[in-house]
Amino acid sequence: MRHFILKLVRRRRLERDLEAELRFHEEMASARDNPIRLGNRTRIKDEIRDAWRLQLIDTVWRDATHGIRQLWRNPAFAVAAVLTLALAIGATSAMFAVVERVVLNPLPYPKSDRLIQLDHSFPVLNLRSGIGMTAGLYYQYLDRGRALDGVAIFRTDEMTVTGGGEPERVRVTSATTTLFPVLQVQPAIGRWFTEQEGAAGAPQVALLSHALWMRRYGGDVGMLGRSVALNGVPTEIIGVMPASFAFPDSRIDAWINQQVTRATGFGLPFRFLGIARLRDGATVADARKELNSLIADLSQAYPGDPGVSGNIGNGKLTSSPMTLKEATVGDVERPLWILLASVVVVLLIACANVANLFMVRAEARQREIAVRRALGAGGTGIARLFVAESALLSIAAAFAGVALAWGALRLLVAYGPATLPRIEEIRLDSMTIAFTFVLTLLTTIAFGAIPLTRRAPLSAFLEGGRSTTAGRRRHRARQLLMGAQVALALVLLVSSGLMVRSFQKLRTLDPGFNAASALTFRIGLPNREYPSRAAAVAAHQAIIDRLSALPGVTAVSASSALPLQDGCFGNTVLVEGRVNPTGTIPPGARLCAVAGGYVETMGMRLLRGSSIDRGGVARGELIAIVNQAFADAFFPSRDPIGERVRSNAPPRSTPRPDGAGGLTWDGAPPWLTIVGVVSNTPAQALAEPHPTPMLFMPMSIAGGPDIPPIAMLGPNVATMTYVVRSATLPLVSAKDVRRAIDAVDANLALAQMQSLEEILDHASALMTFTMVLLIIAASLALMLGVIGIYGVVSYIVSQRTAEIGIRLALGAQPQRLTLMIVRQGGVVTLAGIMVGLIAALSGGQLIESLLYDVSPRDPAVFLATTVTLLGIAVLACWLPARRAARLNLTEVLHMD
Amino acid sequence: MLVLHAIQRGTMHGYAIAQTIHLLSDEVLKVEEGSLYPALHRLELDGAISSKWGVSENNRKAKYYTITSKGRKAIASQEKTWSRLSAAVHRVLSR
Repeated sequence: MRHFILKLVRRRRLERDLEAELRFHEEMASARDNPIRLGNRTRIKDEIRDAWRLQLIDTVWRDATHGIRQLWRNPAFAVAAVLTLALAIGATSAMFAVVERVVLNPLPYPKSDRLIQLDHSFPVLNLRSGIGMTAGLYYQYLDRGRALDGVAIFRTDEMTVTGGGEPERVRVTSATTTLFPVLQVQPAIGRWFTEQEGAAGAPQVALLSHALWMRRYGGDVGMLGRSVALNGVPTEIIGVMPASFAFPDSRIDAWINQQVTRATGFGLPFRFLGIARLRDGATVADARKELNSLIADLSQAYPGDPGVSGNIGNGKLTSSPMTLKEATVGDVERPLWILLASVVVVLLIACANVANLFMVRAEARQREIAVRRALGAGGTGIARLFVAESALLSIAAAFAGVALAWGALRLLVAYGPATLPRIEEIRLDSMTIAFTFVLTLLTTIAFGAIPLTRRAPLSAFLEGGRSTTAGRRRHRARQLLMGAQVALALVLLVSSGLMVRSFQKLRTLDPGFNAASALTFRIGLPNREYPSRAAAVAAHQAIIDRLSALPGVTAVSASSALPLQDGCFGNTVLVEGRVNPTGTIPPGARLCAVAGGYVETMGMRLLRGSSIDRGGVARGELIAIVNQAFADAFFPSRDPIGERVRSNAPPRSTPRPDGAGGLTWDGAPPWLTIVGVVSNTPAQALAEPHPTPMLFMPMSIAGGPDIPPIAMLGPNVATMTYVVRSATLPLVSAKDVRRAIDAVDANLALAQMQSLEEILDHASALMTFTMVLLIIAASLALMLGVIGIYGVVSYIVSQRTAEIGIRLALGAQPQRLTLMIVRQGGVVTLAGIMVGLIAALSGGQLIESLLYDVSPRDPAVFLATTVTLLGIAVLACWLPARRAARLNLTEVLHMD
Repeated sequence: MLVLHAIQRGTMHGYAIAQTIHLLSDEVLKVEEGSLYPALHRLELDGAISSKWGVSENNRKAKYYTITSKGRKAIASQEKTWSRLSAAVHRVLSR
């Protein structure tokens, strides 16, 4: 192999030398009277080149066939080595494919590292992110942001598409016309929005996602220019985006033109998300600094706007931009790197095992090598034989590994957490194949080199087979590998142990509701058929009644958002009789609109007071129930029942147009009397350090299609999520649900049908994913490590058979012999465990952020994994040791 | 074999080898035009001879060939085979 590479490098020099040599001959010949002529130059050169080439092919071929013969003669060795390596290479390649797609290259946009997410925070309110944007901020940044090269705002809603097939619930992102110039992406077919389409009053147009276009319209180009209805609004289809386009995430089905106007001023509420492209040379820190100074200037840009004075106050609104990449993969980046590191550790352990196998073979073949040397084989020739063997094994392992990785990725894409961005695009690409190739090359070099480092003088080879006591030095390398395996395996065992503990704690965590046997789905009522809050509430109540009549159903209710789902309405809340000091912002809560019996249907615990029943909803009673976190935040030392609270709305003297449709509103949200306190439920993530204060109000007094968002009453009840609880499994069937809804309105679309259990599973999906993969890696590491220990001890025993025989003959106790060998292996294992413990303790903070309620130095986990590893390792030492102690004396003495 | 035999006498360059073969065979054998250099390169690749650049008697850069121990062994066995063969041929012919 080395020969081969040198030859390639030397090729040009060879050609030059040949030319010089032939010219010399011609010069010599021309100086003589009776010259010996050279002959046909071209033919000579060709013939010589052929000789070079033949030699090369011949060498490679000879080495390869020799390698195959060697491996064939020892199939157990070959299979063990290939399987071990294939597992490790496959796992590493698959994990690399994930990291490459999700972490290294998550955004399919040109110069995507220049894209930033524009977000805001209220540090004084402990709201560190997720505030979003308003139209007023958009114009402020668009006009004056020098660090930005383009700004866009967008929001995502669920809408019902009708026309051209069944009514369907789709996710639609409504974006300013500036979005695509910022992302620098062209539609696959059709065109992007024109600037005029972004102005108020322009007709609504849509670009379809590639997936929706294929699924719903069969990829029909004729759909361009056709009109469909989105929530009843006629919408012309003007284009289709490329399949890779997934903004803001891969679940978006269409993009429509968001119309914004400067007429709304600051434009509360914060209902948009923002994205921008950094100007060349500008950094995120530059942008943050500049945007904060622009926020301070807002009172000049929108003089007298109550939204500005209320929210900006004394500079409390703060810009918190971050790169889009961080915003997209921030949560998953660390787990994925840790998983890649853990499979690399498995690969190292596998390499150590195979290296051990190679070393054993190299020693077993000392006589063969000695004979070859005596016959005149050079050092490089022998080295080539070993490298050829390891290359063959590695190549075979690489092919098997790629096949394994392919299968693993298919599983991963099918069952991986949907929170992984671009997960559906993960595949074996050229980059991953190249990575596998490099891995293979490295492993080849690693194993091929081992016998070379152990080249001893000829005499040692010749006597090697006959020595009765094995040299200590020869075991040193083997023991080092064994110790390293133990250390690496322990690190992985501890990590996976910590993850398992976290997962257990997370799953035994009380979610505050009963997740068993309940089906959920979302229904959105189109504005055209249900133009008012009253109409929407009536339709929801009719659907609930129909669903309640289904056989097996024990309770039905609905909410604007279930736990762990978006859809609630976040706002600050005022308490009656409590004066809010000027310049400060009152505390916030999430407001949900519910149908009657929501608390009972969800299985939430009513801690005090009463809940909202059907009658209360029907009468539109001005009541609310709050969760424990709300009670603690607003009434820390008082019983909240009987207190009155209301959603905070900016004071306004004159009605003004709303950005969306010219509606006006003048008036404050009503005071609601708290009638009950319920258990906390997780709002966004299972392991929330601080439970979110929540308030539930009857859907009949919340927001609706005829109430502008600026009224701040509550969430729009046009879209509600239903909960249908059955007494036992199976859940009520989708067909029955569909029939019940058809009886009310056959044009309504169902979306996100899933059980409450699935919502819970989804919330812990990333942790489950990380945990399962870490467990797999740790089990592989443990298995390979044990095989490694067993192999080394067995080998040492076999080398010392004669010595053991002599000891037995001299009257040594078999038990003491066993103990001696176990102790030898045990010392190495203990050393490995010590190193592993130090590594695990010092590297703990790396995985701290993945853990839930478990210290990265959790003594129980450390103790359990150490004892397990030690126990298994001692067993792996003891088995060969016991065999040694039971040796038959006569057999031993006859062996050599 | 002739080439190896010629080089056995010492280090020499290609033209000298051709001349040596020519002279040794009493000008009976002349290395076939165009076959010397391919033969030299094949021998070098087989490890029977080694080469080195040096300065010739007329002060030119020339490639010098030297026989290796492997080459010596090869020629010894070849010569043995050859003399056995030629002896056999001789015996057959002299009957």
